[in-house]
Amino acid sequence: MQGWRKSLAFASLIAALGVLAFAATLASAHSTTTKAGSLNIMGFGTGDDVAESRAAIATKAAGATVNRPSGGFNDQQFLAAVASGNPPDLVYLDRQKVGTYAAKGAFVPLTSCIKSQKISTKQYRIPGLNEVTYKGQIYGIPEFYDVRTILVDNNVLDQAGVKLSGLDTSNWPRLLATAKKLVKIENGKVTRIGFDPKIPEFFPLWAKANGVDILSKDGLHPHLNDPRAVAALQFAVSLINAQGGWDKFKSFRDTWDFFGSNNEIAADQVGAFPMEQWYYNVLAGSSPKVHITALQFRNKKRQPINYETGSAWAIPKGSKNPQAACTWMKSMTSVSTWLAAAKNRAQIRKAKNQPYTGISTGNALADDAIYKQTYTSINPFFDQTVKKVLDVQRFSFNVPASPASNEFRTAWNDAINRVLAGQQTAKAALDQAQKESVAAIKAATK
Amino acid sequence: MATVTATVPGPRARARHWFAGFAQRETWAAFAFLSPWLFGFFVFTAGPMIASLILSFSDYSVIQTTHNVGWDNYHHLVHDPKVRSAMKTTLIYTVMVVPAHVVLSLGLAMVLARIGRLAGVFRTIFYLPVMTPAVAVGVLYLLLFNGDHGLINSGLGLVGIHGPFWETDPHWVKPSLVIMHLWKVGASVVILLAALMAVPQHLYEASAMDGAGKWRRFWDVTVPMISPALFFIIIINTIAALQTFDEVYTAFFNASTPFGTDATLFYSIYLFQEAFVNFHMGYASALAWGLFLVIAVVTAIQVYGSRRFVYYEGDKR
Amino acid sequence: MTAPQGPIATSGEGAGGVPIPPSAVVAPAGRWYRFPSGASLLGRTVYLVLLTFLTAIFLYPFLWAVSASLKPREEVFDNKLIPRHWQPSNYLDVFRGVPDIATGAPFERWLFNSLYIGVLAAVTVTISSAIVAFAFAYFRFPLRNFLFACVLATMMLPGAVTMIPVYLIWNKIHLTGTQYPLWASNLFASAFYIFLLRQFFLGIPREMFEASRMDGDSYLTMFWRIALPLAKPALIVTAVLEFKASWTDLTKPLIYLRDDNQFTIPRGIYNLLGLLGPSAGGHGDYQIVIAGTVLATIPMIIIFFLGQRYFIEGIATQGRKG
Repeated sequence: MQGWRKSLAFASLIAALGVLAFAATLASAHSTTTKAGSLNIMGFGTGDDVAESRAAIATKAAGATVNRPSGGFNDQQFLAAVASGNPPDLVYLDRQKVGTYAAKGAFVPLTSCIKSQKISTKQYRIPGLNEVTYKGQIYGIPEFYDVRTILVDNNVLDQAGVKLSGLDTSNWPRLLATAKKLVKIENGKVTRIGFDPKIPEFFPLWAKANGVDILSKDGLHPHLNDPRAVAALQFAVSLINAQGGWDKFKSFRDTWDFFGSNNEIAADQVGAFPMEQWYYNVLAGSSPKVHITALQFRNKKRQPINYETGSAWAIPKGSKNPQAACTWMKSMTSVSTWLAAAKNRAQIRKAKNQPYTGISTGNALADDAIYKQTYTSINPFFDQTVKKVLDVQRFSFNVPASPASNEFRTAWNDAINRVLAGQQTAKAALDQAQKESVAAIKAATK
Repeated sequence: MATVTATVPGPRARARHWFAGFAQRETWAAFAFLSPWLFGFFVFTAGPMIASLILSFSDYSVIQTTHNVGWDNYHHLVHDPKVRSAMKTTLIYTVMVVPAHVVLSLGLAMVLARIGRLAGVFRTIFYLPVMTPAVAVGVLYLLLFNGDHGLINSGLGLVGIHGPFWETDPHWVKPSLVIMHLWKVGASVVILLAALMAVPQHLYEASAMDGAGKWRRFWDVTVPMISPALFFIIIINTIAALQTFDEVYTAFFNASTPFGTDATLFYSIYLFQEAFVNFHMGYASALAWGLFLVIAVVTAIQVYGSRRFVYYEGDKR
Repeated sequence: MTAPQGPIATSGEGAGGVPIPPSAVVAPAGRWYRFPSGASLLGRTVYLVLLTFLTAIFLYPFLWAVSASLKPREEVFDNKLIPRHWQPSNYLDVFRGVPDIATGAPFERWLFNSLYIGVLAAVTVTISSAIVAFAFAYFRFPLRNFLFACVLATMMLPGAVTMIPVYLIWNKIHLTGTQYPLWASNLFASAFYIFLLRQFFLGIPREMFEASRMDGDSYLTMFWRIALPLAKPALIVTAVLEFKASWTDLTKPLIYLRDDNQFTIPRGIYNLLGLLGPSAGGHGDYQIVIAGTVLATIPMIIIFFLGQRYFIEGIATQGRKG
């Protein structure tokens, strides 16, 4: 290239870079700093209609400028913000994480907030509150309540000549026999699962069914290798082994078109499995013609039980606007707000000819009002599931808040995976998990 | 260039010679060229690295007050069974994936070098997987490697091989991850192709005239001429393999399919969990420096080996 | 013996008037095949078959993604390459949002952000890394090997542990919450590319530089007139690789960006994923996420295709050695 041309090229490059950098400045001009009267929320990005309609109400109630960067709660993001001395004013996260952050002093107790805002904690379901209570103090306001019932494919039962009573989880030997009757294995491949116990995810449910809580109420003493927990795990694993063994079982399950119109229920690929309640809504949308029944999960004493989880609001230490945060939390989870959101959703869904199966709010009063005032019948099958979901809520239990909830969960998750992979017996795996959990909690409470 | 005396200089003279280097104009020019990196290095790299080293001697958790814990973290590291298992997993994976990666990318690059104009299209195609975001890859992993129904086993079934349960059988998980990784050789192909195309034609002609066959030409001409690029690919991929995180995390540890087992607990994943899930940043820093040590040793061995095998054209140094 | 194939090679003249033979697209000795010399047709056919087979494997995931992006929600995971029902409106939905999920995403904004941040990151790192790499390759100076070992060392520490300290540094200069941390550290070069470019610079024979020095050129001129043009392929590779790295990075945007309008594409898609998941109240509309992902990949493909075409020409017309 000739001299002057080269210089021109070089100069243009520099100029271009300059323009870009300038554009960068402009685009970055949205950096937010907290001023008085503004509320920075982390973990609650623009959500669906239920979230948005409530957020609108809460924003008005809080009276502050609300900044809600999109996206769910992310530990890295939160830690970075805390490290820089600039935590958000309010966070929205999985209830199971609250205990750990609370134990580390990252969240503030909500006692004064509850008093000053006169939040009626009685409206919230007790297990949900328990999950966010650590050392006797409440650190979060619960929102949403995942309910687990057994989803039954009536067609499969009919085909195999099995009655609903065969799926009574209080009778383990009979349940095992039922699973064997319902499962189909052809050419060495599983083509229909009888009963999926959903482990490792629902292990707390199986342990509780056998009469033991995997974690003490104060969140400090794991009971993972309690003989009853071990027996529960052994039974659940035996269910899987009787239905092809883990490899084939999981292989087949992974092929399910879970959210599609040819899902495992529509295609009669499974007899029954415990599942969270939001899936009924999915099914109603993707395959409304299925014949299903919702069964409660029963413990050995034939009492219904429900393993619940959900989200929560919490205020980080160093929040610059705890007042607005508190008002927001109260508003988001009040009965009137929930009701308004439910009415809104029912309307939207009806207009679009889409199903509406109610909302599971974690607020007992709201649940009742919502069902009575906004639920309209879909068809007998789904109506039954909605009613059942509402009914079992009062039988819920929770895994208590713990100062090392992540490590605790990892410990028993890994243990069960090892058992499924055939690397350890249930007893050895849970012994190991118990050791690891005890050590983790000890380290976290030093 | 400084003059060197005919006799071997003693230590004092060598030291003087070394210090004299700083007075050379060449040295000043060199440091001028290095200045952007030097500044960035001290601020953005050395600083944080030293910070993490200091943190490794503490119980830093970001949220709580930090205390000095001396060698506790390192002590724990040495006795932690998960560390041993994770390091073993990572090392085995590295030993499997690096040679496979180098061989495959070199092979592909060589094939591409031969097909002329179409190379552009194919090069883009092979680079496409590198540009496909992790989301799609994670989903596809489950679809492709499914033991009973995945495409790979179906394909194997066509030739009568009964494929293993890639995802759940602890013995086959690592090979499946290797295969998944190999899908992304595109980046190395691009680099090696650039190197291959820079090899002068006349060297091949001269070699052929000396009667060398294709194999001989490969070993005597191609490999030495592209050895700098090969060396680069080997080192980079070894370091990357020892730090494997993204692919395994999306396949096994994301929120919806928490099926990570001992067989898939790579060192970096354990580190990440300790740092951001369990909030043991101090311990994670110790883990990081443990990995650093391993990588440094492995790289040093490779660099030392390179002295014999890598040929630099401008190499009268 | 094989005939040169590919772009027409022209002889060029390097510095100092030393004639340089054309470096056409060479045909290196085959690794696995030994064909009798007259069988180039067979050889070519084998290559093309092999390439087509490999293409199918390499292309399949991407094809799957494109196919999924055109399907309605219920069919996304049905494993069929040709959609049973076509729903190209998914691409529009990326911008206007699924009706009962309140807002559409500012996807165009994200595209623009990713684009200019990617270009900035790529250009700055290429220039700065080239300068530094040249120093390591050409100059002889005390501490050279030690400093290069430091370069290598920076690649050996997992990023997870320097993430927070680096974040604190940016915080000190009040640049968190802006987009600067996503590219500005590239002003100071990056170890990976320093290493890469150094390897390429090392392949340039010293005589070329000696000749230039004897002509009285300064180091800078020498770098500019000799080293850079000869390393053009490597420079383009660097720019393309860094563009791709910046385009697909999620961690930095996750911790540094706070405002929706600042987001880059991966950050935006991470959002969408969280929103559309069924437990969040969405329906599992993954087809929209995948459509967004495909959209996001297209600019990269274009840039890559252009970039690699350019450096092919670069090779052919330069006609240099090493």
